[in-house]
Amino acid sequence: MTTQIKPPPPAIAPVPPPAVVRETRKFTVAEYFRMAEVGILREKERVELIDGEVLVMPPMGWPHFWGIMSYTQVFRRFPVHWFCLLIQAPLPLDEHFAPEPDLALLKFREDNYWGLRPQPEDALLIIEVADSSLAHDREVKARRYGQAGIPETWILNLPGDCLERFTEPGPEGYARHHILRRGDTVSLAALPDLELAVDELLPPANAATE
Amino acid sequence: MTTQVKPPPPAIAPVPPPAVVRETRKFTVDEYFRMAEAGILREKERVELIDGEVLIMPPMGHYHIGGVARYARVFISRAGNRYTVLIQSTIRLGAHFAPEPDLVLVKYREDDYYFAHAGPEDVLLVIEVADSSLEQDREVKARRYGQAGIPETWILNLPGDCLERFAEPGPEGYARHDILRRGDTVRLAALPDLELAVDELLPPADAAME
Repeated sequence: MTTQIKPPPPAIAPVPPPAVVRETRKFTVAEYFRMAEVGILREKERVELIDGEVLVMPPMGWPHFWGIMSYTQVFRRFPVHWFCLLIQAPLPLDEHFAPEPDLALLKFREDNYWGLRPQPEDALLIIEVADSSLAHDREVKARRYGQAGIPETWILNLPGDCLERFTEPGPEGYARHHILRRGDTVSLAALPDLELAVDELLPPANAATE
Repeated sequence: MTTQVKPPPPAIAPVPPPAVVRETRKFTVDEYFRMAEAGILREKERVELIDGEVLIMPPMGHYHIGGVARYARVFISRAGNRYTVLIQSTIRLGAHFAPEPDLVLVKYREDDYYFAHAGPEDVLLVIEVADSSLEQDREVKARRYGQAGIPETWILNLPGDCLERFAEPGPEGYARHDILRRGDTVRLAALPDLELAVDELLPPADAAME
């Protein structure tokens, strides 16, 4: 009997066994949207384009839905003309990157971007709700959002019960990464009047006892 | 500090993927052909669909080109109306498998497969010329050809200066794997009167001296 020794999980992407590896054809955002137009990708399919690869989004658990709903409620109370709120919609950020962030705050437009897709420079903030997807959100997506020049990304880290805030985007990703906890407040550089208590952005502290 | 007790996951909760790895969306052969129709994949692109992934075919070196030319000459000169030779053409072998083998001998058809892609039932022999691609051809493609029920696959193993013959296809791939060398003869089960000297199927023996 052969003993199977599992290699330790690598930090970022697993290095596939050398030999047999072949490069996949990378798709552009235009090709990706065309796939949807011609029905290769169905409208309800949960996929996103990351580094030219069409990736399946894992099914969402309830905590993930909860995060999207709560954040929608929280942001809805600010004046309508401060921003547009994009919820789980594809946001093309560069030639091979069209992710579907959980939420994005976009520059306000009265027409809510009717007839044209938001561009990277329209985004003020991207928010990802991370349950099982934490490593992917942090190491792949937050990095790419920084590289795309999105001024800020927040990750609601559900397992860690904290809010991770990434700022100062640059070619390597975000230069700053803060962990915000209960009792802290958070504001948005692009909208200085928007200030929130972190408690409001985390699940109820006594959730387990309910 | 409040300790957050996570509620037990619901019964059918999906097992989250390990760390950062995300699954790519697998495409069917129909979707793959639609990509070509819709202009997402250009006609001249060297790609093939293996296990639902659109893979780029690496550029061919001159050894590879020479091997293909030699087999084309050998088989076309003997074809008559016993079989049709497809050279680097897409064939349709499964729901997620549309490779582009170097050569395929398919059952003779007067229309030369003008109206439809050749399918597994049409194929008599698949030939792959393997230079740097040896491992991929042997471990991935030959195996898949066997699983698709292709009666025989030959791999011209250029680094090994031999012909590898795979026969007796089954659900696990081919049950037989023979190495044929200079001086041997090879015969195709589907075309018993076609007998070839292996020397004719390998590069000139004195090639290195030229």
